[in-house]
Amino acid sequence: MIRDAIDGISAPDGREQVVRAVSWMVLFAVLHGGFRYFGRRGMLVTARRVEMRLRRDLLSHVIRLPLSFFGRTPTGDVMSRLTNDVSAVWLLLGPGALTLAGTAISYVLALLFMARINVMLTLVSLAVAPVIVFTSREYGKAFHRNHRKAQESLAAMNTTLQENITGIRLVKAYGLEEREEGRFRAACRDYYRHNVSVSKTSAAFHGAIGLLAGVGVAFVLLMGGWLVIRGRLTLGGFVAFNAYLAMLSFPTMALGWVINLVQRGGSAMGRINEFLGIPTESWEPVLSPPRKVPDAPFLEVRDLSFAYEGQDRGEALKGITFSLRKGEIVGLVGQTGSGKSTLFSLLLLLYPVPPGTIFLEGRDVSLLPLDEIRGAVSLVSQDPFLFSDTILANICFGKDVPDEQDARRAVSMARFLAEVEELPDGLHTVIGERGISLSGGQKQRATIARALCAGGELLLLDDALSAVDSETEQEIFREILSVRGGRTVLFSTHRMASLSRCDRVLVLEEGRIVEEGTHDELFSRRGAYYDLYSRQMITRELEAAL
Amino acid sequence: MSNGAEFYFYEDRVETRGMDMRLLRRLFSYLAPHKGLIAVALGALVLGTACQLAGPYIIKLVIDRNIMPRVMEGLGRRIGLFFAAQAGAMGFLYLQMFTVSIIGQRVILKIRADMFGRLQRLPVSFFDRTPTGRVMTRLTSDVEALQELISSGLVSTVGSATVLVGIAAVLLWMDARLALVTFAVLPAIVLFVELLKKFIREANREMRRKLARLNAFLQEHLSGVAVVKAFVQEGKSVREFDARNDEYAAESIRLTNFYSVYFPGVELFASVAIALLLWQGGFRVIAGAVTFGTLVAFLEYAQKFFSPIKDISDKYNILQSALASSERIFQVLDTEVSPEYRQLPPGGKAPPGRAEEPGGESGTPPAQPAIEFRDVWFSYPKGDGTGGEMVLRGVSFALHEGETGAIVGATGAGKTTILNLLCRFYEISRGEIRLFGRDVREIPREELRRMVSLVLQDPFLFSGTIRENVEAGGDELDRAVEVAGVSRFSASWETGLATQVGERGGHLSVGQRQLVSFARALSRDPKILVLDEATSSVDPVTEHEVQGALGKILSGRTSLVVAHRLSTILSSDRIIVMHRGKVREIGTHKELLASRGIYHRLFSLQFAPR
Repeated sequence: MIRDAIDGISAPDGREQVVRAVSWMVLFAVLHGGFRYFGRRGMLVTARRVEMRLRRDLLSHVIRLPLSFFGRTPTGDVMSRLTNDVSAVWLLLGPGALTLAGTAISYVLALLFMARINVMLTLVSLAVAPVIVFTSREYGKAFHRNHRKAQESLAAMNTTLQENITGIRLVKAYGLEEREEGRFRAACRDYYRHNVSVSKTSAAFHGAIGLLAGVGVAFVLLMGGWLVIRGRLTLGGFVAFNAYLAMLSFPTMALGWVINLVQRGGSAMGRINEFLGIPTESWEPVLSPPRKVPDAPFLEVRDLSFAYEGQDRGEALKGITFSLRKGEIVGLVGQTGSGKSTLFSLLLLLYPVPPGTIFLEGRDVSLLPLDEIRGAVSLVSQDPFLFSDTILANICFGKDVPDEQDARRAVSMARFLAEVEELPDGLHTVIGERGISLSGGQKQRATIARALCAGGELLLLDDALSAVDSETEQEIFREILSVRGGRTVLFSTHRMASLSRCDRVLVLEEGRIVEEGTHDELFSRRGAYYDLYSRQMITRELEAAL
Repeated sequence: MSNGAEFYFYEDRVETRGMDMRLLRRLFSYLAPHKGLIAVALGALVLGTACQLAGPYIIKLVIDRNIMPRVMEGLGRRIGLFFAAQAGAMGFLYLQMFTVSIIGQRVILKIRADMFGRLQRLPVSFFDRTPTGRVMTRLTSDVEALQELISSGLVSTVGSATVLVGIAAVLLWMDARLALVTFAVLPAIVLFVELLKKFIREANREMRRKLARLNAFLQEHLSGVAVVKAFVQEGKSVREFDARNDEYAAESIRLTNFYSVYFPGVELFASVAIALLLWQGGFRVIAGAVTFGTLVAFLEYAQKFFSPIKDISDKYNILQSALASSERIFQVLDTEVSPEYRQLPPGGKAPPGRAEEPGGESGTPPAQPAIEFRDVWFSYPKGDGTGGEMVLRGVSFALHEGETGAIVGATGAGKTTILNLLCRFYEISRGEIRLFGRDVREIPREELRRMVSLVLQDPFLFSGTIRENVEAGGDELDRAVEVAGVSRFSASWETGLATQVGERGGHLSVGQRQLVSFARALSRDPKILVLDEATSSVDPVTEHEVQGALGKILSGRTSLVVAHRLSTILSSDRIIVMHRGKVREIGTHKELLASRGIYHRLFSLQFAPR
């Protein structure tokens, strides 16, 4: 149209032709805008929907993977697949595909029109295109590489910062302010260097692309000018040709970018598929679940051995055999690494359990649906993990709908109610990163309340009261025991005095049960239990002191 | 959470606010040291713009002087000139982009270091009431927003403005009427861009907030996946995730819709402008009022005209969010430092109204206790400056040189608070704390820090080697490592003291971390040792080692210990029984047992086998 208009300027019925061409131009611009709007919207919105589904499916798969998966895969890695990799797929399907389509259309149409104007000129003008594509692709790679390094040094800087803030008391107590400033400055410098190299690359790229485009235009000017002068090309044709060429400069540049997107999106999808290919924990409903055996012990463990996969540490548990009657409270002691936490995880089937080793009311747990077992067993683990949500939501985590009444009862049993009620919003107080932070002892009591609220019949306490003083610990035990008959408790502790209060004690040593009996029995046996007990030097010191 | 730093998703509300001259002036003060570089950047900008603007004019010359009259002569020269202008433009562009980014990065480096330095000197109460996440955001996202302003905002706004003015001037100079036609669409474009940008800005912000929420949720539920599994809540987690995922998708689709109008819209306006130009310009060429080349140059310039307009509107956004960020940054920089970092009045004189002990500096009179609390009242400061409930209520006790004092009491009795006050992490509300007869408020910070060594309940180590951690305390590495029992385990390792302890000491066992933290405290040979005994459970064998080390460390050294271990309590010279912020009993183990008070009760609960 530009050509027609310009050619019209020199034609006899000039004005009329100019007006006609300009009207066509406006019409086409409107149509073009309309198509672009719908095309863009259609493609990008679809891609967003795909992204959302992909992220959802990935999470719902990952969260059902066995715990051993999370043991060997750092959280950061899982996060990066759920965030960066899913985004890379969206970039490929959305902006990538859109740009590719746009580039293809622009190229086909523009080349067609350009070739109609002059074939020779078209060939000349395309000479720089491959160089531009190549340059922008190389740039994309370099940028990505430098950017990743910059991100890594940013992460290092953040770690230093976080460490400093967490340890601020020590920094002050030891007058380490200057040392810390030095450490942080070094991390910042590192980040600075990487950022400068990122901007160096991008500045160089923009310069180079501009230069290459300049070369292209100069070629066309030279050749086109010569052609017009020789009368082989109209002036309008010349100007229109330049306009088409300008239209192609962005798609050419974008092509290099799209190639990168495709590569990155492809490998991201590969990484996502890798996760999706890992089999989840078995959730299939069991066709004929075994019946409860009336006289069987509530929990029975028969000759259970277990080794963590992929670790050459040997068996963590070796031939464990014991049973718990309903309503019993049994203590578990042993040194760090003797297998206490492993045993607890296995009772919850967090790791695969060999068939015929664990029985719940006479039923082999490997034949029971997972949710039934985990519903019947509540574990309070060593590390009190709470979500940054309200206390209520945390306490009722095991329920579908929070129930304030139940939560209050559980919090009170865990001897946490008085402190909760002093908080500004009581049970509705938000805790964690976006709220108030609880002390170690408070966290432990909250996790106990969570387990009590879930209402499992078997309560497993894995050294869950270490940060609670002994008086409170005793009160909590009294509360749990007061509903005796309803609940069976297995707990581990390093506080030997607590063991005198339970029905029986199991002593673990290097994955084996070496002693079993009541406190008094074991104490008088003068074996492993007595050893552990006296290591705490209670009796001796008492005698010496008094 | 060990990798909390890697994925960090805390987000503040971003408020849009108007221009604030005071803030801008303060920001400019950070630019001042880089005058030279700024001059280079501006010079490159002006020259680059000139070269860029020369391009279309040369094309005009080619058309008017060569193509129209069909003259070959001079064509090559002009095209060479065109190419030179283009090369110059790109060279200057490179120079400008590069210097600007260096300026931005350097300013940011400085601001970050300043903030960090200030942070080190803020009172501990600041960290009590400010979540770690929020402090992190100040030094990361807020600083990045500011960098964005400096790197891509300030200079390129000047650049865009220069280009706009330059083009407008050239157009008016070539042909005023045609120039006015070109400008005619301008108000419409500006209006359109501004209107949509408002929505886009808001949608963008909302989208980022939703993404931060989504990521925070993910991070948390992946860290706590064992809990999710233990309570069979996979379904619930996925459902809650879905809600956040949907929110995010809805917001991003809204943004996509705006952009789908925005980009084609801007193009449409540009096409209309060019059509108008052709129409009017064509008529004027036919009428012989302007040359052909001028018309073509106009078309070229018009295309370069619209992107700076878009740019400037973008930059206004960046400016707004950077101002909001810098306000928060300056808030941190303006937070008052802890009193101990403030310069003491000359001679280290006491606050008014209290007389200095005669000869307090040189020999300490033998009668002065090493640690003395006199009727100390204290409440933890709240964010609003008021105090909360009193945690200590009239605490008084004294320890003489070489004595070990054990503080015992139930959770919440105020035991740890006493240690915090001794280190002067907080200012007391009433009463006084004296070390060797001197009020802690009169002892210069460095001296106080040298005098008192602190061991925290949670044995926090900095990432680095064991040696670095111990040497952070003081110079007496070998002896400290020996006495604290670190050498016993480190000697059997190939890397010895050069072993990396990992983030927060994660590569060491809890017991080993405790021993290293003892060594750190000892390496400065402190006059007073302040120790919050760990409650965290270690197995009896490790426990035995820790106890052994502790016994050696405490013997003969003035120390104040929040004690949980019987052995520690028994070996102390004085037991201070705290209950609800008050000292209820003081005495030796025998005395206290005999008096059958609180201590007797605590003691039988904790240690008696029923």
